[in-house]
Amino acid sequence: MHKHSCISALARFVALVAVLAWSVGPIAVVALSSFKEPKDIFEIPFRLFFVPTFDNYRMLARFNPEFFTGLVNSLIVTVFAVLATLLASFGAGYVFARAKAAGYKASALFMIVVRMLPPIVVTVPLFPVFNRLALNDTHLVLVLLYAAFYVSLGAWMMRSFVAQIPIELEEAAAIDGATLWQTLRIVILPLCAQGLVALTLFVVVFAWNEYVFAMIFTTTEARTAPVVIGEMLSTAEGVKWGAVFAAATIQLVPVVVVVLALQRFLIAGLTAGSVKS
Amino acid sequence: MIAATDRKASYRSDNRHGAYVLLLLPAVLLLLGFLAVPAVYIFWLSFQKSTFGVDPEFVGLANYWGLIADRAFWRASWNTIVVVNAIVYAELALGLGVAVLVRGIRSGRKIVIAAILLPYIITESSGIVMWRFMMEPEFGLLTRLIDRSGLPPLPWDFEPWAALTLSGTIAIWHHMPFTFLILYAALLAVPKDTLEAASIDGAGRWQSFWRVEVPIIMPAILVAILFRYIFAIRLFGEVWLLTRGGPARLTEVLAIYLYRETFQYRNFGSASAAGVCMLLLSLAVATPYLIRMAREVRRDA
Repeated sequence: MHKHSCISALARFVALVAVLAWSVGPIAVVALSSFKEPKDIFEIPFRLFFVPTFDNYRMLARFNPEFFTGLVNSLIVTVFAVLATLLASFGAGYVFARAKAAGYKASALFMIVVRMLPPIVVTVPLFPVFNRLALNDTHLVLVLLYAAFYVSLGAWMMRSFVAQIPIELEEAAAIDGATLWQTLRIVILPLCAQGLVALTLFVVVFAWNEYVFAMIFTTTEARTAPVVIGEMLSTAEGVKWGAVFAAATIQLVPVVVVVLALQRFLIAGLTAGSVKS
Repeated sequence: MIAATDRKASYRSDNRHGAYVLLLLPAVLLLLGFLAVPAVYIFWLSFQKSTFGVDPEFVGLANYWGLIADRAFWRASWNTIVVVNAIVYAELALGLGVAVLVRGIRSGRKIVIAAILLPYIITESSGIVMWRFMMEPEFGLLTRLIDRSGLPPLPWDFEPWAALTLSGTIAIWHHMPFTFLILYAALLAVPKDTLEAASIDGAGRWQSFWRVEVPIIMPAILVAILFRYIFAIRLFGEVWLLTRGGPARLTEVLAIYLYRETFQYRNFGSASAAGVCMLLLSLAVATPYLIRMAREVRRDA
């Protein structure tokens, strides 16, 4: 019996190591390699300990300055996409939680239906329209598209957070003479803070990393970091792996830090939001 | 006192339509402008012949006949069906296994979960950088490992099946955390006394997992499958950044077919027809979920 449990504990341990290698392995290899001399990148066997160098980062700064403009563009797009999504979702979520008329329910459902559409499909009709409006290659286009794709998830998440707030609180505020806007700001907004953080995380992860829309709708002015990394993979003169690694590492650091710091909200949001079973 | 009850009554009733509409407006405008109207417009466009969406000319079903006659379209559809199914079910098996494994961990569970979540918060293009480097045909770490272990090689740089296998693997790597989270949360919510009752009745671990827990978390499993179908149909970056759909359009999936027809061949009519197919496919997959949500919305009246 004892022997049996030993074996199963060992099997568990091996399985866990395999899972961690699968999840973190590719990321660790690339992040570590970004600090290696270009000539050592393909060295076999893979060396875990070495004297770190910033050569690849220097090379990136010198030959691919567009990557850093890409980072700035990513930052701008992410910040405004978060703001737009929070604003639209908070309002809609409140209405869905409190309003009882059939029209509001229909619009709640409508939000879910359109969320099912594949994003690439809407690029076909939108591209010529944006082109005519001279909106292609602007931050605004990405901000609005990202908000449009996340507002339905956001509204449903906010709906379940607002629904947990007892309506008596709002009634008490109304008796004290608060208007709807004051109630929203002073009573509802603070009590939804957890949900707002969770939603922010979802949108940050999405907007910071989004590739397809950014590739299609931006060329130079608003091109985001993921698109620049994609381009660095497909140069005619062969991939400069060192620079690509440096870029990938820089690009993933902020989002990893933000998500790890606020991890518990992510799970709260997933279980409270529309994804719940 | 009377005034207060009055106010309360008025508060409970829906007499604030003006304010509600105003609060809903930003969300509705975003959805109408960027998703709903384009989705309807693409229907109309699919019956027109037009380059770049200008000077449309009605051609009836010609675009759809064109699709049916296009071997690249069939290849893309077939690739999508095979890869999407492989992704969804491999991810389900993996996600369930990992969820069970993580549940059994006594210490350091948070760190393990954080590590498992990592691939989910990385951009597609960086993920592909990582896998391409490890799978470089000559020097890649994984290529060499596969070579040395005697497993068959994965020549993704020229064999379509191998390229699609690698794309699918990257997609699984990327999205498994999502499936894992849903299943893990569901497993945690299984009532302890149900499991105890099962073990008192003499069920072994294996039995109580398959006969008791899996049926209980079935709704969560179905949600995970459904969501992954809906999102896997969109598969684009993994294939695009590995092969661009080549060689000879053999590794295209529907999203890449659509992209090429639109932005390379400027064939908006047939691209729209393909878009309509993708749309209908997604909605067909989503229907069970939508019906359930409709019930939920109606229920909490």
